[in-house]
Amino acid sequence: MDLKDKLVSSFLAFENNVDVHNPVHDVRTEAIKNFETKGFPSKKLEAWKYTSLNGLQKIDFSIFPKKESSLEYKDVKKYFIHQIDTYKIVFIDGVFSSNLSETTHDGVDICLMSSALTKPMYKAVIDVYFNKVASKDESLTTLNTAFSREGAYIYIPKNKVPKKPIEIIHFSTGNDVALMLQPRNLIIAEENSEMQIIERHQSLTSNAVLTNSVTEIFAAKNAIVDYYKVQNDVDSASLVDNTYVDQKDGSHVKVHTFSFGGKLLRNNLNFYQNGERIDSTMKGITIIGDKQHVDHHTLVHHIEPNCESHQDYKGIYADSSTGVFNGKIIVDKIAQKTNAFQQNNNILISDKATINTKPQLEIFADDVKCSHGCTIGQLDEEALFYLQSRGIPKKEARALLMYAFANNVLESVRIPELKVRINKLIANKLGVNLGFDL
Amino acid sequence: MLGVFRLIKITLKKEKNNKEHKSSDKMLKIKDLHASVEGKGILKGINLEVGAGEVHAIMGPNGSGKSTLASVIAGNETYEVTAGDIFLNGENIEDLSPEERAHNGVFLSFQYPVEIPGVSVTNFMKTAINESRKAKGLEDMPAKDMLKLIREKSELLEIDRKFLSRSLNEGFSGGEKKRNEIFQMAMLEPKLAILDETDSGLDIDALRIVANGVNKLKSKDNAVVVITHYQRLLEYIVPDFVHVLYNGKIVKSGTKELAMELEEKGYDWIKQEAAV
Amino acid sequence: MAYTEEELKKELETKEYEYGFYTDIESDTFPIGLSEDIVRAISKKKNEPKWMTDWRVEAYRVWEKMEEPEWANVHYQKPDFQAISYYSAPKKADPNKKLEDVDPELLEMYKKLGISIDEQKKLQNVAVDIVVDSVSVATTFKKTLAEKGIIFMPISEAIQEHPELVRKYMGTVVPTTDNFYAALNSAVFTDGSFCYIPKGVRCPMELSTYFRINQAGTGQFERTLVVADEESYVSYLEGCTAPSRDENQLHAAVVELIAMDDAEIKYSTVQNWFPGNKEGKGGVYNFVTKRALCEKNAKVSWTQVETGSAVTWKYPSCILKGDNSIGEFYSIAVTNNYQQADTGTKMIHLGKNTRSTIISKGISAGKSQNSYRGLVQVSSRADNARNFSQCDSLLMGNECGAHTFPYIEVKNKSAMIEHEATTSKIGEEQIFYCNQRGIDTEKAIALIVNGFSKEVLNKLPMEFAVEAQKLLEISLEGSVG
Ligand SMILES: Nc1ncnc2c1ncn2[C@@H]1O[C@H](COP(=O)(O)OP(=O)(O)O)[C@@H](O)[C@H]1O
Ligand SMILES: [Mg+2]
Repeated sequence: MDLKDKLVSSFLAFENNVDVHNPVHDVRTEAIKNFETKGFPSKKLEAWKYTSLNGLQKIDFSIFPKKESSLEYKDVKKYFIHQIDTYKIVFIDGVFSSNLSETTHDGVDICLMSSALTKPMYKAVIDVYFNKVASKDESLTTLNTAFSREGAYIYIPKNKVPKKPIEIIHFSTGNDVALMLQPRNLIIAEENSEMQIIERHQSLTSNAVLTNSVTEIFAAKNAIVDYYKVQNDVDSASLVDNTYVDQKDGSHVKVHTFSFGGKLLRNNLNFYQNGERIDSTMKGITIIGDKQHVDHHTLVHHIEPNCESHQDYKGIYADSSTGVFNGKIIVDKIAQKTNAFQQNNNILISDKATINTKPQLEIFADDVKCSHGCTIGQLDEEALFYLQSRGIPKKEARALLMYAFANNVLESVRIPELKVRINKLIANKLGVNLGFDL
Repeated sequence: MLGVFRLIKITLKKEKNNKEHKSSDKMLKIKDLHASVEGKGILKGINLEVGAGEVHAIMGPNGSGKSTLASVIAGNETYEVTAGDIFLNGENIEDLSPEERAHNGVFLSFQYPVEIPGVSVTNFMKTAINESRKAKGLEDMPAKDMLKLIREKSELLEIDRKFLSRSLNEGFSGGEKKRNEIFQMAMLEPKLAILDETDSGLDIDALRIVANGVNKLKSKDNAVVVITHYQRLLEYIVPDFVHVLYNGKIVKSGTKELAMELEEKGYDWIKQEAAV
Repeated sequence: MAYTEEELKKELETKEYEYGFYTDIESDTFPIGLSEDIVRAISKKKNEPKWMTDWRVEAYRVWEKMEEPEWANVHYQKPDFQAISYYSAPKKADPNKKLEDVDPELLEMYKKLGISIDEQKKLQNVAVDIVVDSVSVATTFKKTLAEKGIIFMPISEAIQEHPELVRKYMGTVVPTTDNFYAALNSAVFTDGSFCYIPKGVRCPMELSTYFRINQAGTGQFERTLVVADEESYVSYLEGCTAPSRDENQLHAAVVELIAMDDAEIKYSTVQNWFPGNKEGKGGVYNFVTKRALCEKNAKVSWTQVETGSAVTWKYPSCILKGDNSIGEFYSIAVTNNYQQADTGTKMIHLGKNTRSTIISKGISAGKSQNSYRGLVQVSSRADNARNFSQCDSLLMGNECGAHTFPYIEVKNKSAMIEHEATTSKIGEEQIFYCNQRGIDTEKAIALIVNGFSKEVLNKLPMEFAVEAQKLLEISLEGSVG
């Protein structure tokens, strides 16, 4: 049976385990219909021109984990930003792990989607927000919606700021030969609230994992959300990340995506600016090798006037890796005084590596400043020479320059410990010995 | 946008058509001029008369409204004239578009000259001169006359010919921009030249060259209004009258000694006087 | 008087298409509709050899199975291919053309177009091949060219006189199967130009073809083939106009350029087919396939000024096959009213040390949509490939759109690709500055647009740069934002 059929037929089994009378289930039923019609996206679709899911569809993924597992904190500590105190929402093979987690209901809700979707006290919020910004049309999103049951639920009320950053971590243990996970996150920042989130998917064995994740973020007036995605999984793990952001007046949402590990990574980042004076920022560093494949698809839809968006993606591609960047900016007719900027810079360091990029501007308003820049090239020879003339061997000098190339994206990371961590990861990936501890 | 804005302007103007149309025939006469931008009043009752053959200096602290006054005289529709009149040679010019004012001999040397990528200084000047000629019912200036004029004026302002082929103001240094403004003035030979902080950004040599350009234009038929912060320029272009603009009004007028006094004492005493 | 948007709009509305007249020439037109028989009939009418007929028929069979492409960012009523007449020849065309023999009515028409042959004759350096509807009616300067061994003639004549050359090269750059419109063109093309520059010859003058759709309900399917043999050079210009008509007229051309080792071809286009009226009614559908093949050290430059057509779909491309070959694309596309343009280029880097430059300037006004779509592809063997792309859009008014779709696909680590794009509008300060110097708003806009387009205008042959500049002004008159 192919994966699509397996998923569609598993939906019946899934229904046995959820409350089919809950209105949420109507949403799921609609969604599975859409997926059943559309199936997995093929390369014929413009949005999937450069990324094929065919290989993954041949794997016999378990849709539900066979048994529950547990992990000891000391064994997985290194995957957390353990230098600082954080709230933690941790899942093992898609199942919530209470012993690794630290949730809260103290003035803010940092807890589980499963509770939010089922408990009456959350119903009002779910009615307003659940599946409201996520696409009802894109097939993988609807596939996730159909199976939405578990994930992180974060609700920060007006004027609140949680005491510490929030970590969302998904572990897979390899108990199944191949496992498909579909976490569903809902993040709501009410007026003037602020939060920082770090998200990570981590497989603990080399068994195949496919994660199809959907995150909905709602940022109300003047809210600030910083979202960091750390993608450094093992090379048998693949991830399709679908993130949808709905922003209101004066809100600032930043999403940083650090893609270093994993087999196939596809990031669909969609920003909708439903208000004025909004700032949307997307930054990414991709450093991959082997046969890795990373595809960044961004969309910023400028719907109202006087907003800004900034995108800065850097990529370094080694071996037979493939990078894709497709950044789309739409500026509606009434979205005057929009400032939209996009940068995508790439370095290929192997003859077998490929980069496909397609920045895309669709502008319908006349009083706007929009620009995109894209480069593919090598390191600055002059800078290389400069370093060499200061006694740094060529190999080290190259690594150092690449490190510098990627590193300036980190300026906007506002959690110092995370910055240090990513810095080290970059240095590691590039084989730079910084000679000092960060 | 631009067009809509203009429509609004026109309706506003229609309402006050019962105004004076003629006045004595001083070259420039400004009567109780009030102007605002985005609802904020900036000029609050300016009265000024400039006769042919005169040089006037307008001084005043930053933000007092000097550039606004210059823009309003030139017809910039960003600023709304809420009251008062401007007469040029006795004619009320409120209904004249900026280009019509230019055709009538008004020239503004911009404090911040605007960049126009891809349009060379020469091409720009050629267009400007021929458009003015067209408005007067004249044929285009023959190419050889144009060339001669350009040669003559660029020599006057010590401008390199290569400079004339560059895109207008794009990548020009502050000094180059200002010198280019005066070059344009020399080319267009206006009746009334308003120089808005033309001295800023100029080194001493450039200042001398620019002043020389202005002085060449001066005649009994022309008038010059020099807007400046510093007395420096006035050593080269000697004013007949000096006015101090503060908070949208001319608070003091005098002769060139006033400029010296301002240089010495700053503007604080003017502010205090005005506050009383 | 101040210049209001209303006034500007009114003025625009009164500006009718300058070339919108219809010359009443008796013409010999086929019944409408397309079938294998019609294809054969066209071939027969032109007295073509069997290989040509077979080639057409094969293309027709391929076309029948193809579907019209959907992906371009344009929306239009699909042409009904059975409602078009595929052959229309002015009846009085004479095979032994001398200027004196040309139908006076035709001459009159050229005069209105501003390209009267008399005038052209004086324009020393331009040899003109004029295609009215489907048959090439007059070619000047043939003799001067012949002395150098340059062949420049209607392609229909070339098929008769130089069959070996035509047969060798036609369809090698744009195969009949390439795309829907290329296949259609291959089946039904009625005329076009053929140009061959022998080895080592620098063509001493600009070669120029003028296309014009005259007859109502006819499609124009011209075919151009330019072959520049080793170390030769040619500069070629095509210009197009169509009288205004209500129904949309179809124009589906194929242009193939072959630049052999060390050869250089400059191909310039000034296109002002009827864009439709201000309600978006009528106008030409311009679906064109243009492609160049560059051998070792060869260079091809495409320069285009696109101001016309209701719908344009066009991507002059370069296949940089030979080492050290160079491809260039300089484009200005202006859209106004309801025009839609989807245009750009493809630079396919196959050889080593290949270089390409793309400068695209899009200007949208009215309710128009203007898209740049480009592909820069570097294959894994193309060491040291270089590309620089710059796509700038200027928006005028708030009902138009500008779109940029630059695809970049790189498989070689030594490639250096730079792409930049900007979108902006004409600043109010810029307009006031011009006004203050005595330049009215409309003229100011023309000046600013010309400045914006300058990098491209500069690439046109001198004789046509001025004309192109005028054309920009005409197409944008009254479209201030
Ligand atoms: N276009 C504008 N929009 C808003 N405020 C303006 C504008 N132009 C001028 N102003 C304001 O008007 C005042 C006078 O400015 P300006 O005429 O430039 O002064 P000056 O030239 O004397 O330094 C300042 O407060 C300035 O900020
Ligand atoms: Mg000022």
